[in-house]
Amino acid sequence: MEEFFTYAPAIALLPLAAFVVALVFGDAMPKKGAIAGIFATAGSLGLSLLMLAAVASGEVHHETYYEWAVGDTAGHTAAEGIAFTFGILIDPLSALMLVIVSLIALLVHVFSLGYMNAEGEKGLPRYYAELGLFTFSMLAFVFADNLLMAFMFFELVGLCSYLLIGFWFRTKSAPSAAKKAFLVTRFGDYFFLVGVVAIGATFGTLAFAGDGSFVAEAEAALDGGETLFGFDAETWITITGLLVLGGVIGKSAQFPLHTWLPDAMEGPTTVSALIHAATMVAAGVYLVARMFGYYALSPSALAIIAFVGGFTALFAATMAVVKDDIKQVLAYSTISQYGYMMLGLGVGGYVAGVFHLMNHAFFKALLFLGAGAVIILMHHEQDMWKMGGLKNKAPVTYYTFLAGALALAGIIPFSGFWSKDEILYDAIILGLESNVFLAAYAMGLLAVFFTGFYTFRMVFLTFHGEPRSDAAEDPHGIGWSVKAPLVVLGVLSLVAGVANLAPVGKLLDLDIMFLEGWLDGEYGGLEELTYGFYGDMLPYETALIGGSEETTLLVAAALSLGLAFSGAGLAWKLYNVPEPTEHTQRLGGARDVLRSNYYQDEVQVWLAEGVTLPVARAADRFDQTVIDGVVNGVSSVSLFGSSWLKRIQTGLVTNYAALLVAGFIGLLLVLGVYGGWFL
Amino acid sequence: MMLELLIGVALVGALVTFVAPNRIAGKLAFAISLVPAALSIYLLTAFDGSGNALLADGGTIAFESSVEWIQFGEYTISWFVGLDGISLPLVVLTTILTTLAIVSSWTPIDDRESQFYGLVLFIEANLIGVFAALDFFLWFIFWEAVLIPMYLLIGIWGGPRRKYAAIKFFVYTNVASLVMFGAFIALVFSLDVTTFALPEVTAAMLNGGPQTEIFGLGGTSLASAVFLAMFLGFAVKVPIVPFHTWLPDAHVEAPTPASVLLAGVLLKMGTYALLRFNFTMFPDEVISTFAIPIAVIAVISVIYGALLALAQTDLKRVVAYSSVSSMGYVILGLIAFTQFGVGGATFQMVSHGLISGLMFMAVGVIYNATHTRMLTDMSGMADKMPIAVGVLIAGSFAYMGLPLMSGFAAEYFIFFGAFGSEFLEYAPIFTALAMFGIVIVAGYLLFALQRAVFGPYELETDYDVGRAPLHDIAPMFVLLAIIIALGVAPELIFDMITDAVDPILEHGGES
Amino acid sequence: MIGIEHYIVLSMALFCIGLFGVLTRRNALMFLMSVELMLNAANINLVAFAFYHGNITGQIFALFTIALAAAEVAIGLGIILVLYRNFRDVDVTVPSQMRW
Repeated sequence: MEEFFTYAPAIALLPLAAFVVALVFGDAMPKKGAIAGIFATAGSLGLSLLMLAAVASGEVHHETYYEWAVGDTAGHTAAEGIAFTFGILIDPLSALMLVIVSLIALLVHVFSLGYMNAEGEKGLPRYYAELGLFTFSMLAFVFADNLLMAFMFFELVGLCSYLLIGFWFRTKSAPSAAKKAFLVTRFGDYFFLVGVVAIGATFGTLAFAGDGSFVAEAEAALDGGETLFGFDAETWITITGLLVLGGVIGKSAQFPLHTWLPDAMEGPTTVSALIHAATMVAAGVYLVARMFGYYALSPSALAIIAFVGGFTALFAATMAVVKDDIKQVLAYSTISQYGYMMLGLGVGGYVAGVFHLMNHAFFKALLFLGAGAVIILMHHEQDMWKMGGLKNKAPVTYYTFLAGALALAGIIPFSGFWSKDEILYDAIILGLESNVFLAAYAMGLLAVFFTGFYTFRMVFLTFHGEPRSDAAEDPHGIGWSVKAPLVVLGVLSLVAGVANLAPVGKLLDLDIMFLEGWLDGEYGGLEELTYGFYGDMLPYETALIGGSEETTLLVAAALSLGLAFSGAGLAWKLYNVPEPTEHTQRLGGARDVLRSNYYQDEVQVWLAEGVTLPVARAADRFDQTVIDGVVNGVSSVSLFGSSWLKRIQTGLVTNYAALLVAGFIGLLLVLGVYGGWFL
Repeated sequence: MMLELLIGVALVGALVTFVAPNRIAGKLAFAISLVPAALSIYLLTAFDGSGNALLADGGTIAFESSVEWIQFGEYTISWFVGLDGISLPLVVLTTILTTLAIVSSWTPIDDRESQFYGLVLFIEANLIGVFAALDFFLWFIFWEAVLIPMYLLIGIWGGPRRKYAAIKFFVYTNVASLVMFGAFIALVFSLDVTTFALPEVTAAMLNGGPQTEIFGLGGTSLASAVFLAMFLGFAVKVPIVPFHTWLPDAHVEAPTPASVLLAGVLLKMGTYALLRFNFTMFPDEVISTFAIPIAVIAVISVIYGALLALAQTDLKRVVAYSSVSSMGYVILGLIAFTQFGVGGATFQMVSHGLISGLMFMAVGVIYNATHTRMLTDMSGMADKMPIAVGVLIAGSFAYMGLPLMSGFAAEYFIFFGAFGSEFLEYAPIFTALAMFGIVIVAGYLLFALQRAVFGPYELETDYDVGRAPLHDIAPMFVLLAIIIALGVAPELIFDMITDAVDPILEHGGES
Repeated sequence: MIGIEHYIVLSMALFCIGLFGVLTRRNALMFLMSVELMLNAANINLVAFAFYHGNITGQIFALFTIALAAAEVAIGLGIILVLYRNFRDVDVTVPSQMRW
């Protein structure tokens, strides 16, 4: 099956072709470029599945396709030279991610037919072109075989999200949100780029895999006790790892760079689905998984990942509780869920993190597309307080949305439960050994309660009770292109958990942890990129409750399930009534804090407008007055001097003659004094 | 003889255009400028040089020709031209940008056209001369001759404050040239040479250094003094903070095509000369004395320039100040003195020439339609001029260093080269600080875009704002294509650049 | 015996008279004549030193100066005529516009 890999570049190039086609010919095409995008992403999905099959048959593809630049390294590295290349790495992780990304992209394209085309939007060729470019960038990012290539497409993903969030550029808010998204993630990418440069300059290579990968070099440096850039190896690895993590925090919307994501809801809902489920936001976490071997070398970096993740999970979940806009709730849930993935990866749960990444891709895409369907139903109304009672009028939307909600809330047996449970299990067994991680675990656990609450608050407000507006009384119809993606994703949200039923497998001693085996290279994979290899590198020790795996599993699962149910139950009690009321005033002072997102935005806006801009203005004033003042001052002095001096020139020839004579006599005197005539 | 032909065509073309009727001058100048453009692209394909033109060890100079010209006491001045991997890309940049600048001036220039286009061609001839000349006097003649047409272009066809801007530009850069000229002549007189040919001066400088004392200075201290004086001289041209204040005035007042050439090529004269003189001729112990201060002002240029751009409300001023910032990267790359650093700096010269040219053209096209450049006046231009705005957005992202565009390649090379440099102490810290520029640059460009081109269309104007004509748009697409080509395949020129940079580094840097 | 000193004294006297004329007279014609006096002072010097050194160069120079003076007078008179035509006067202090 190795010959399949010949087509690997086409996975990314097909959407790129769709981008060009939609941009150039979009206006002349029947569906304004949608057809090209659908064919391209379907092609990518087909090829990605082939890759998956090829990897399952034991093959791995790692090949350099193109040399971007070569040159000498300097100073600090033993490597002779460095080549910056474009290459493709298809291993279990990237093959899985390729399938997820191309599937979601395809479904989003199809959904767009109903969401964008049917609504008579302007600028559709631009929309489809940007979607194509987005998919291209993400797919190329996923199969990148080195850190620089990953960074380059990471940035392109950022560009596409800028363009798509700002799709409705005629409004005031969309361009502002787009700018914020790009700027905040750019701030993270600054650290990422410093990290890329630092890793390249340290190890002379940026490859993820292979003998000369930077991970292998770092391990060798660690073993050899080398000093890198004046630090001992572990410190330097931690520093560079954290620098790269800056990009991850920006793109995956982790605290404190998460503020762009709720604003990004200004884009079309389809774009939100793509950004949240498969592209932009997923890119960050995927990068951590991709270079997990590097982080495994640095316990401090991993601990920071775990705490950032755990804190973000809880922090974002609390904010989601008070939101009125259906898309805002989903936005905060995304931040929170990516926090879980970071927590999972940070506590060494590589499989758990990737598992949740996959499940989340399905159920979050489902929820966003479902929200998109609701928005169509509601004639473009997004306020949940104006909805209600859609359950009977739009059953397909309701049941699929419910499937997504159950998965998000982590209710057994939906997919979200299995992966979230696994993350929390990995966190607790680590926490039992090194107690500091218990704090991260506790934050993750508490977030489960809030997740259950806000998810079902959203479901009940939207679909249950009595219609609370005219639009809800008489919803707009939706077509097959909206329903079909919902159904596909609904089914996946229900069954995707089967991929790794870890608790069931461990309790019943069954070998049904397919994903774990998959990521461990049981079917095929590069040895240094497997779960088992990472496990050996990890500096972590774990412990179990009472020394029994079963007890620990059951306690952990019961805790998280119980909290999820109690959150959902509270929502049921408060909001599953015909005429629900807000109840938020009961929160008292906390309500305002939550509503305004802990004043995070205010702080960042203050940083931008209250600090940077005044500094810039002050610099400008300094430039205009002091620096340019000196320059103009020089010319003023000479102008003033000459305006005084020019008065010698009287225009009277007699005066000139007199000056001439005086000058001559003066010269004679000077020469006389120096020549010694007067002595 | 190729280079003589190149310069000759531009010079004769300038004369012909000067006397041609106004009506046809634009088209005529365009047709004439195609010849040097085509020739220079031919040079790119026929390039057979290797090594650095100033350092003879084993390399050959491409398209070399040398004729004795003036005998001046015991010193010989010759017509000595030739290209290497550093100068050739800049020659090609010059010819291509000139052609495109001529096309982009068809719309805005409607007065004394024949003189305008004649001067543009005259600049082109001199710019090619600057990059091709290998004799100091010849080089200096071209160097100074560039100022005259640019002074006239700003002073005659410029905006409301054109006289102030033109005089400031001329006097400032001219005084700087004087400092540099004096320093270099002093150096030559102290060396054991009887010619002003740069390769021989370089060889004498590197093997032995100054032999005679001048003003009581000799040996390394003379070399250091000359290095400093020449650095200051070129710093104005680059420009490096705090010698940059002529730049925004000149840019803002200059007509679009002049801004394109000013930012695109004229600024590169400064960095090119820095590389050719300061970083090639002087032994590394001299350069390393100044390494830390130069790195400091490079970082200041990047950050301070970017902050200034953030504070502007005139779109053209935004782009003008951002040039200060971008040139700071070049200085950082040079002082890192590594292959990627110096090579990246040279790459950035070309890349920034293309990108800033593109930006000025896009701003110019919008100005042609709206007759305002104030961010506060404009809103929603994307609605009215989708293609021009699309190019402006693409150019902005190129400026921010978006991967797969030349700006990213250039900046990445510089950052990578600078970060690992052992020549420069504290290199990682300097690099990391300078890299923060990429965040600020994104900030002010996105802010400007949000204000000017997005949002609801609002513009109080008596002019009919509509789509720009094809000949305004086409040059921008040519530039965009080159920018993307260089971003995807930097090896197109990076190869020859590193080949020419390596010999420099062998004299003390890290190759 | 008339030595070189006598010639120098004569030439100095002549020069000072010319200079005095230039500095004090306002009539352009007087001006011109004063300049001629100064030129002739120089001529005397040239001839005297040529004789003194036994070298002919100085005498040749004097001849040149005389030719030059003739040309100068022609131009000078022309300027004076123009002056008169424009200002109805030959006073050199009247036309003072030729300055900043």
